[in-house]
Amino acid sequence: MNAVLEYPPRGEPHPRPSPELGHVVTRLMEDGAPPDRAELARLIVRIASDQDRQAFARLYAYFAPRVHAFLRKSGLPANAAEEVAQEVMLSVWRKASYFDPDRAGAATWIFTIARNLRIDHLRRHRVAAAAENGVTEEVETAPSGEVLLLASEREAHVRAAMLTLSDEQATVLRLSFFDDKAHSEIASTLGLPLGTVKSRVRLALGRLRALLEDKS
Amino acid sequence: MKIRHHATDETLLRYAAGRLPAGAALVVATHLEGCPHCRARVAAFEALGGALLEEMEPAPMAPDAFAAALRMIDEEEERNAPASLDSARSVRVQATLPGGIPLPAALRHCDMGPWRWIGLGVRASALRLPDDPSARLTLLRVGPGRKLPEHGHVGTEFTQVLVGSFSDEFGRYLPGDLAEMDHDIEHQPVVDPDGECICLAAFDGSMRLNGFIGRLMQPFVRL
Repeated sequence: MNAVLEYPPRGEPHPRPSPELGHVVTRLMEDGAPPDRAELARLIVRIASDQDRQAFARLYAYFAPRVHAFLRKSGLPANAAEEVAQEVMLSVWRKASYFDPDRAGAATWIFTIARNLRIDHLRRHRVAAAAENGVTEEVETAPSGEVLLLASEREAHVRAAMLTLSDEQATVLRLSFFDDKAHSEIASTLGLPLGTVKSRVRLALGRLRALLEDKS
Repeated sequence: MKIRHHATDETLLRYAAGRLPAGAALVVATHLEGCPHCRARVAAFEALGGALLEEMEPAPMAPDAFAAALRMIDEEEERNAPASLDSARSVRVQATLPGGIPLPAALRHCDMGPWRWIGLGVRASALRLPDDPSARLTLLRVGPGRKLPEHGHVGTEFTQVLVGSFSDEFGRYLPGDLAEMDHDIEHQPVVDPDGECICLAAFDGSMRLNGFIGRLMQPFVRL
């Protein structure tokens, strides 16, 4: 079961010191403004290096409800979505040492965990429609000279590109994430000709690509 | 290795979103092993997934969910079994391709079926994923100068060259290349004369295999 995306660890995972006694967090605390992206990444790093439960609480408060919503929107029933969201957050705790802020932002890393655990969940609870859902075997690839951009730059550019998309383009991209449908099926869902859907996706992805390659 | 034939953006997007059928996802994963270009695309689409995650309207967890998470963490630490990352993964004998070539890393958890003749100069071996019996993908081994089975199919066909090469109307496909063919594209791949060609093939799962190759493959993949 390839439940969670495994980034190739850079060197050994951080050694885990025993958790500080007397530093017990039992309740979810949300303080002040939502954390920014750099802070979210730092929270994961602190979980890895110190098993920092305060950091986990903050990360949980921010991400668990979003992962929950994401999985709902991805088509999981309510109870399953919450169960898998909980699994995702536990995976974040366990696998924090595999998080590499140079490769992906916190949200992207957690997205890949949610994606993979959703697939595992469907596989375990597969009903009649056996062939509909996919497995994603992750490839462990050594980071090489191919890395075009720092993860933080890439993610900033992706977000900027999203803002420049038309509503129609954004819709087909979202459907690609939240539905199993191929473009031909998206076309019939939206009542559009296949060519229109394909060209919207192409334009949307092209805009994304132009921004990414422009900056590399 | 210079890759000349890549996965389409649609396919890479569906892969990054976790929305490709199991067999097709494995073919793409095999391609990504050798293709930095497509890996960079996947990374961008995963970042898109991260952006979508962040823009979600939060759906509250149950009030005691965080406390429950901490209890599970405590229990794991007491059992002193933190993060058993891949313990369930059994060690299996590594299957090899003819000539002793190891299977691509993306396929190392697959069980490889026996090679069987499915037509003139064509043999096939069904690959199965132990933890996902629904995955459908096939290794094809085609002799030099032989045509890959001519077929009409619904959905998209993904063919990754592992050994040797073939050519069709769109060019020559060498190891590392991925041929991604929509059903409306007619093409007739022929294996190049200098040696046999081994490739990995899967279809988009939403289709019914009613083409020639589909009929040929039915006995293997029990569709």
